[in-house]
Amino acid sequence: MPERILRRFGLLATIVTLTAYVLVHAAALIDAPIHSDGYSYYVYLPAWFLHHDPSLQAVADDCCGGTFPAFTSIVRWPATGRWINPHPIGVALATAPLFLSAHLLTRWSNLPPDGFSLYYQHAAGLAGAAACLVGLLYLRSLLSRYFNASVVLATLTTIVLGTNLFHYATYDSTFSHAFSFALLAALLDLTDRWWREPAWPASLALSIVAALIVLTRHSNLMFLCIVPLWNPAGLWNRRWLLLAMCAVAALCCIPQLVIYKQATGRWLVSVYGQLGQFDFARPRLWSVLFGVAKGLFFWSPVLLLSAAGFFVDHPLARRLRAAAALTFVLNTWLIASWSDWQFGASFGHRGYTDGLPIAAVFMAATFDWIRRRPRLVAPAAACVTVLVALSCVQMVQYWLRILPMANTTWPQYRDLFLRFR
Amino acid sequence: MRRIRVAILTAILIAMAAAGWYLHDPPWIAGITSGLRSWEEDPPGTRFRWTAGHATFYIPSDVVELTLPLRGAFPSPNGGAVLVRMSVDDRWLADFELHDPAAWVRPTIPIPDRPTSRRYRRVELRISRTVGQYNLGVQVGELEFRRAQ
Repeated sequence: MPERILRRFGLLATIVTLTAYVLVHAAALIDAPIHSDGYSYYVYLPAWFLHHDPSLQAVADDCCGGTFPAFTSIVRWPATGRWINPHPIGVALATAPLFLSAHLLTRWSNLPPDGFSLYYQHAAGLAGAAACLVGLLYLRSLLSRYFNASVVLATLTTIVLGTNLFHYATYDSTFSHAFSFALLAALLDLTDRWWREPAWPASLALSIVAALIVLTRHSNLMFLCIVPLWNPAGLWNRRWLLLAMCAVAALCCIPQLVIYKQATGRWLVSVYGQLGQFDFARPRLWSVLFGVAKGLFFWSPVLLLSAAGFFVDHPLARRLRAAAALTFVLNTWLIASWSDWQFGASFGHRGYTDGLPIAAVFMAATFDWIRRRPRLVAPAAACVTVLVALSCVQMVQYWLRILPMANTTWPQYRDLFLRFR
Repeated sequence: MRRIRVAILTAILIAMAAAGWYLHDPPWIAGITSGLRSWEEDPPGTRFRWTAGHATFYIPSDVVELTLPLRGAFPSPNGGAVLVRMSVDDRWLADFELHDPAAWVRPTIPIPDRPTSRRYRRVELRISRTVGQYNLGVQVGELEFRRAQ
């Protein structure tokens, strides 16, 4: 039975995700798919394909009388006066095929060909949903090589519904998180394949995925340490191939560097310096991991299973352990040091959504450990079901604006617990 | 098995062709607007909507004359007139200069009779400046139009 469901997991996940996406927009729970951060990830597409102006000025002229609203975080670089977008081009690249289809359909229906009318909006929204589904398929491919169908099915269901991943595949699907999730899942699967057999298609795919990870969110560069740390003993034998792959990945990143150079006069910039401050000496570690406002384990307690899986002795967990520890510490320190450590309005802590494929591997290791102890299966299944249900309920509360978008306090949380009015 | 596949493929192609035909001139397009906020009412009872920097709405394709109430409400940053550029189905039609921010301007514009197979025409307004965090362009009142006899 689990084998049959797992074989059709892609179809089932597509139906559930599309149903939720349609409900969110049919019920007008949110104004439009392209909003908030999603705007600045997406804005490159109308700039490139409709206005033929990579400087973004033509979009600003068309939409907003020559400037960008503050919520976009697109700012003028002081030295050059040109627009600089804090969000890189990766999401736009991944959305481009659907954007171009939407543009043709817009022309066909005589809708406004401005990059923000009906079809463009849903092309961008559905691109995020599709990215999440692709990520789940990569994850299924990886996990199926190491775990049985029951464990894989339980892991995929728990990671998608027990965390904020489903939210970022439906409600906020134009944000970068679903795309980064998919790319990291692809990186894990391809890394495993590449270390088994370094055929050139796997090498090329791994290079392109690595580049897209950086182009989608620069700080996710840290996740590329997964490739060498997967098998440190084999690195020397593959040093030339790895160097060639680094060169290909760097080549793929050149368009982003050119954009930075044209906007600021520099090849590498950190726009975030204009939007807030890092205080690496005083990170808010407790708040980020366990706090009521946005704590990772408070809002997604099923991830405690991933934390437990870190200590389980399993071949796949062993491969990933060093990279997982390194990236978790680095990512947490980075998030906790940022002045806006809650990442603005978000369900759960979206700073960790990108890394959920790694969490899924360790969660699968825990499930596998439990599977081999039959007396634990029923209570564990009951606990996980309750936690997944709680996460889904809270997600719907967030969609209905019952839960605050940020700064939730304990009295607020207690008052609103399981309430829908 | 092959027959079933052919039947499914044929059904998909027919559905796509039907969707394409339907979407070429969808009836719901009349209600589509973009770059326009919700209706508001001025104290004297004048209904209007704020535009953003770029606003779009649709009129029936047999409209021959359109009256478009406009008010700048805020001056241009340079103190000059606010410019509103109007186009219909991607063709420039007219420019309007709003010199007095407080005054309503009610230009009546003849719509050129161009052959079209669609039921609605797309009207776009581009405004030379926007104001504030809500990206406000100009106020647009209730349209009046005369249709072909």
